Amino acid sequence: MFALADCNNFFVSCERVFHPELNGRPVIVLSNNDGCAVARSNEAKALGIKMGDPYFKIRSIIERYNVSVFSSNFALYGDMSGRVHQVLRQFAPSVEQYSIDEAFLDLRGMNIPDPDAFAKQISAECRRLTAIPVSVGIAPTKTLAKIASKLCKQYPRLRGGCYMHRPEDIEKVLRRFPVGDVWGIGRRSAKKLDGMQIRTAWEFTRLPETSVRKLFALPGWRTWMELRGIPCIEFENQLEPRQSICVSRSFAHEITDCGLLCEQVANFAESAAAKLRGQHSLALEMAAFAFTNRFKENAPQTFGSQLSVFPDGTSDHRILVSTAVAATRELFRQGYAYKKAGVVITKLIPEEGHVGSLFSDSNELAKDSRLSRSIDKINRSFGPGYVLFGIQGDGHIKMSREHQSPHYTTLWSDIPKVSVK
Amino acid sequence: MQPNKIDESSAAESLLMGDIKAGFPSPAEDVREKLDLVKLLVRHNASTFFFRIDGVSMVDADMDEGDIIIVDRAVEPYDGCKAVCFIDGEYTVKKVQLNDGGAVLVPCNEHNTRFKPIPVGPDDEFLVWGVVTYIIKKT
Repeated sequence: MFALADCNNFFVSCERVFHPELNGRPVIVLSNNDGCAVARSNEAKALGIKMGDPYFKIRSIIERYNVSVFSSNFALYGDMSGRVHQVLRQFAPSVEQYSIDEAFLDLRGMNIPDPDAFAKQISAECRRLTAIPVSVGIAPTKTLAKIASKLCKQYPRLRGGCYMHRPEDIEKVLRRFPVGDVWGIGRRSAKKLDGMQIRTAWEFTRLPETSVRKLFALPGWRTWMELRGIPCIEFENQLEPRQSICVSRSFAHEITDCGLLCEQVANFAESAAAKLRGQHSLALEMAAFAFTNRFKENAPQTFGSQLSVFPDGTSDHRILVSTAVAATRELFRQGYAYKKAGVVITKLIPEEGHVGSLFSDSNELAKDSRLSRSIDKINRSFGPGYVLFGIQGDGHIKMSREHQSPHYTTLWSDIPKVSVK
Repeated sequence: MQPNKIDESSAAESLLMGDIKAGFPSPAEDVREKLDLVKLLVRHNASTFFFRIDGVSMVDADMDEGDIIIVDRAVEPYDGCKAVCFIDGEYTVKKVQLNDGGAVLVPCNEHNTRFKPIPVGPDDEFLVWGVVTYIIKKT
C-alpha cells in the first residue's frame, strides 16, 4: 500500500499561511518575471484562470474580481515544502519526495487498521502543524494513490484523505477518470489513446497486455499494471539525497531571443534551488545548457553549456538564478532557434545544521555579499545593459517581481510583523 | 525544515572552555555536545515560526515592540496562553481565555485603557494560529 500526499494549490497555500485573510478568496501566483499563472486557488480556477495563462491576458479578470496576485517566492515554498515533508516522515519510515508539493509514503509492512482514517489523520496533522492543506490518497499502487488524492480535492467531504482499494470502487473511479490525467500518461500517449477511442483510465486498463506493451512500451505497461492494482513503479527511498538535480524543458515554440531564453533558464534555476533546499543540499557546481532542435535538418545547430562553481556551496536561489542567467548569456548564440534548455546541478553536498534558524543574520549577510559579488561579476563581464537583476535596498531580486511576498521563514529581516495595537 | 544555518563559531563556542594548549588531554574533550539554543527554543521544526512584535498592547506579557516571538503550532491552545490569533482579517497577539464554546482575547497593557478585551463567539471568524512559546528580546 502506498500513500500520496499532495499539497493543495501549493504556492497559493504557502502565501495564505501568512495571509489567512485570503482564504476563500481568489489568489494566483505568477512564474518568474511575472510571466504567467503557475498556481491558482480554487476560487481563481472558478473564474476561469488557467494554468500557464499569461499575466497580461488575465489582467482584466484580476481587476474585475479583485484577485490577489503574488510573484513566486521560492525561498518560502522550499521552506514550507520541507516542513510538510518533515510532518509526513512522522507517519512512515520511508517517504519519497516526488516534487516540491508531492510525496509518496511507503506503507508496505506497516500495520494500519483503518487506512481511511490514517489518510485523514495525515492530512489534518499537516494542516495543524504547517497550515498547508494536503490531500492524501492511499491505494495499492502509487498510480492509484495519486488518483485517490485527486478525489480528495474534488470532494471536500473526504476531509483530505481517501483510501481506495476495493476493486469495485476503483472501477467506478477509473470509469470517470480521463486517461490523459493518469500519472505516467504523457500528452503523446493520451493523443494516441484518443485516436483509439480510449478516453478513460478504465478503458485503458481493458486493453490487452500485448498491445499495451507494443504501443506504449515498458512505461505504459507499468502504468497499465499499476491501474490494475499491481505495484510496478519502484519506491525511490531517498534516505540518500539525490546526487544531481536537473530541471529542463523543451519549448513549444523555439526561442531565438536571449532575454526569453534567460527568463526560462531563470525559472529552471529557481526550481532547482527549491529542490536543493527541499533535500537540504548545497550546490557546488551548476551547468546551464541550451540546444537547438537536432531533428530539423536544415536549421543551424548548436549545443551550448556553461559550468559555474560555488566553492562554499549554495542553495540561495538568488545566487543560482543570477549565475544561471549569466551562464545563459555566455552560451547564447544569435541566429539559432533553441528548442530545449535547462540547468543541472552536478555536484552537491549536504547542508549542515539546517534544522536551526537562529543566529543566521551573519549567514544571510554572507549570502547577500556573495550575491552582490556575482551580480557585480555579471555587470563587469557584460556591461550594465545586460543585467537582468539589480539589488533593491533589501537585497531582493528585481526582476518583475512586483508582487513577491517577503521571505517570511528564511530571512530574519523578513519575518512577519504581528500587530499588537 | 529549512532555514538558516546556525553560526556556531561565535555564539556556541564561547560557551565552551577555551583552548587547552598542549600536554595532557583535556577533560573537556569528551564534551562533544555544544549548547544549542535552537534545540532549546525550537521544539518542533516543522511547526515553529517567528514573528516580530509591532505595537504595545502586550507589554505586560513581556512582549515589547521589536521583540521576536517564537510560535509553535504544535502546542495546543490552553487557557491563558499567549497566542498569535487571526481576527477581523489580521493577525494579532493576545492572551487567550478559553470559555465554553468561545474565548476572550485579552490585551496585556493595564496602563493603556484603549486596549479592550475582545470576546469571540462561536460564529466569529477566529483562529488561534499558534501559541507563543518564547520571547527573544534585546536587553
